[in-house]
Amino acid sequence: MITRPMIAAVLVATAAAASAAAGPLQVSSSILVEARSAAADGTTRVTLVKPTKVTPGDKVIFVLAYRNSGAQPLANVVLDNPLPRQIAYRSANPGSPAPDVSVDGKTYGSLATLRVRSPDGSTRAASPNDVTSVRWRLASPLAAGSQGQFAFQAVLK
Amino acid sequence: MPQPLLAQTPTIATPIGTPAGTPIVNTAGLRYDADGTSQSTSSNTVTIIVAERLDVALVRDGQGAIVVSAQPVAIPLTLTNLDNGAESFVLAASVSPGMATLRALVIDTDGDGFYDPAKDVAPVDGKTPLLAPGQSIKLLAILVATPEGGATNAVLTVTARSMTGSGATGNVYPSAGDGGGDAVVGPTGALATVSVPLGTALAGPVLLKSQSVRAADGSQTAVRDAVITYTLEARFTDAVTGARIADPIPVGTVFVPGSLTLDGAPLSDGVDDDAGRFDPSTAQGAGITVALGRVAAGSIHTVQFKAKIQ
Repeated sequence: MITRPMIAAVLVATAAAASAAAGPLQVSSSILVEARSAAADGTTRVTLVKPTKVTPGDKVIFVLAYRNSGAQPLANVVLDNPLPRQIAYRSANPGSPAPDVSVDGKTYGSLATLRVRSPDGSTRAASPNDVTSVRWRLASPLAAGSQGQFAFQAVLK
Repeated sequence: MPQPLLAQTPTIATPIGTPAGTPIVNTAGLRYDADGTSQSTSSNTVTIIVAERLDVALVRDGQGAIVVSAQPVAIPLTLTNLDNGAESFVLAASVSPGMATLRALVIDTDGDGFYDPAKDVAPVDGKTPLLAPGQSIKLLAILVATPEGGATNAVLTVTARSMTGSGATGNVYPSAGDGGGDAVVGPTGALATVSVPLGTALAGPVLLKSQSVRAADGSQTAVRDAVITYTLEARFTDAVTGARIADPIPVGTVFVPGSLTLDGAPLSDGVDDDAGRFDPSTAQGAGITVALGRVAAGSIHTVQFKAKIQ
């Protein structure tokens, strides 16, 4: 009895993967957490692993890995990640270029340049908690076969 | 007299947060130009399920020692579900041996702080109903004085423990969380305890005075020029503000200059910044005064001074 729904689930997953892989630019999105372990040389090694128990207040790392699997370079590549509403943006992950951020989904820039309008019409400087979307632009065309990744840190509200 | 509030349990300011079982779904969009035309598509969708954080708070509504008598007295408590999921809590109450006996621990159904036997009933199987995230309920511990129970003070202890699990922060109960995720023990250990001191009479501050005599010959004989050391021990059951100790110098003695101390630290005789002073002429004659100011509950302060027999 349980076999049939499982097959259906597998088929759905395959279809989703196929649609994501349709173009030459492939992006794999993942949500990870930091795992700390003691390395042999006495330092603490931080690795990113799939989360099993994320609770409110925990730090999570969103990773977007991209690759041009086509034969031609791709120009004007833009990756845009609207934040799930339960997620509060914190910063770019160390090693990743900083994204442009937006507090309204329309205007993007560095956080310091953005302002938030209050109900009474006044404005204030934006804080990381106001960020609703992050975006990266590749400055130069992405050559065929090349790849990279962007990552940002966030907190579960 | 205004009294500083005493926190029974550290206040947890952390908001409850996203409910357990909530799926966090993320998809990135992408655009690029290929062969001169703009294309857009999206990444895969990744989903994580929010785990259940097990946390609880139990605080007493009020402070200070409780006076028990032959008439039942109700001690109100507030239990708060700090979990990000719905949770039931196992309750336990006990009284250490002494002059009081626990009659019952009940849920104060209407939350008025008074025991209504018709409505306020003991929790079924010692467990609360399921409480929503952030929800609080009122509890009442009903106590009476133990007949022939003597004067030994007792302590009421009430605990609340998450049904799903408790223990060390970070302990995981796989798949036990709301919505099928894991349950994880939060900072409170998913266990809260409140202790309430009990007594048979209102215990206000107590001042105990003792003395020791030392004569020039090393004996304890109260002769002329023998020095008497007076010890005033102030015991406070409750926190108070503006506490001060005043004691006259006994007739037939003279104050020994520079002998005044508070908790072993010297105080100058003059009227100045420190807490103590010697007054050669008050309404009751010469005397010492020490201003303790704000004192904590359960604290003891000791003042000493010396006087010489004339």
